[in-house]
Amino acid sequence: MPLSILLILVGGGIGGIALLLHFLGKSQPVVLTDNTARAAWLRLFPEDTITNVTVSDSGLAALIVTDQGPGLVWSFGIDTVARPLGDAEITESKKRLKIRFPDFSAPRALITLSETERTDWRQKMAQT
Amino acid sequence: MTETLHYPDVVQWAVPLFVIAVLAEIAWIIIRKRGGRYETRDAVTSLVMGAGSVAVGIAMGFIAWGFFMLLWQITPLDLGSSWWVVVLCFVLDDLRYYWVHRFGHRVRWVWASHVNHHSSQHYNLTTALRQTWTGTFTMMMIVRAPLVLLGFHPAMILFVGGLNLIYQFWIHTEAITKLPRWFEKVMNTPSHHRVHHGRNARYLDANYAGVLIIWDKMFGTFVPELDKEKPDYGLVYNLGTFNPLRVAFHEWVGLLRDVFQPGLTLKERFKYAFAPPGYSHDGSRDTSETIKSKHLLRNPSDKGTPGFN
Repeated sequence: MPLSILLILVGGGIGGIALLLHFLGKSQPVVLTDNTARAAWLRLFPEDTITNVTVSDSGLAALIVTDQGPGLVWSFGIDTVARPLGDAEITESKKRLKIRFPDFSAPRALITLSETERTDWRQKMAQT
Repeated sequence: MTETLHYPDVVQWAVPLFVIAVLAEIAWIIIRKRGGRYETRDAVTSLVMGAGSVAVGIAMGFIAWGFFMLLWQITPLDLGSSWWVVVLCFVLDDLRYYWVHRFGHRVRWVWASHVNHHSSQHYNLTTALRQTWTGTFTMMMIVRAPLVLLGFHPAMILFVGGLNLIYQFWIHTEAITKLPRWFEKVMNTPSHHRVHHGRNARYLDANYAGVLIIWDKMFGTFVPELDKEKPDYGLVYNLGTFNPLRVAFHEWVGLLRDVFQPGLTLKERFKYAFAPPGYSHDGSRDTSETIKSKHLLRNPSDKGTPGFN
């Protein structure tokens, strides 16, 4: 197949499918609840005992406190990702927590939190 | 000796079919409200990985081709190009695929390349296209050497390999539940391959087949899809990025970090590169064996059931 036609097919195919899915509403992120956040954590860390779950007001992230330390579950498209916060570098801005993980496969998470939520999360992370 | 033999690049010619099939699957899911899930960024990442894989194949294909042609000059055998030779080549190459795929899950060096195919939490036709960019680095082309030395022309081997890849495209779907029993017994099917993509303890390291599922049954790695346990797709530790570069290279980065960390013996460094994924010198990580045994501690009634033999 001529390269020019292959490029058109591949580029057009990817762009077309992306637009179609977006307009079909397939770009909406999952919104977490206490139960789904808990399940999302245990899906990756089934041996942990969860002592507290705090879902952000936006529903796009949850602070998980376990017997192994604090962790984060966050919305990843319509799925979720979870990582321990032990070695993470956490910085604050006006509306967000920026969390950098020492993990090339999950480098960072940007979590929108109100000032009240940020204080609450900080306290819970410090307690573990 | 057959010096030149030409076959079409079937994977490139199948690209329009891939696009049409993805659109058909999306339509099926929307209309029937079942049969799988799609997410925009996940699908785009898979498609970009597929396009990148084709591009890398065009750019780096000369390495494998040069290697095979070198062997072709050496071998005194030439099986020709009759139809039965093509069929035999297809079957033997499928056996070759089974073992390369098994190495891909049991040897971290090869897993570092193959992992990206398993990195989506979805299982749809775009997942099939989430292919490696780094296959050449694994040197698994060596496993094809016996085919060339037996007298199968390199062009024929690449042709049947392309057919194998195209066959595997359509089995990446939840839209098809189970096929007729005779077909499920012999061929790799959506049901068998869903198991392979499952991150459930039960389904880890199972169903490596490309086209014929008989290889898994012969070599003891077959696990049927159970109605009571739906596969949970993705990796044991799922990725937190849609960036194709990170998807393509994350395990290589992890491997290099592990191998070159200070304070290890030479044997430990070697194991970080070539032992099964999940190996750690201090036992702080889980391999599929420890994941299964820990699962059985939590769920002892699963002992002796498929996947926990």
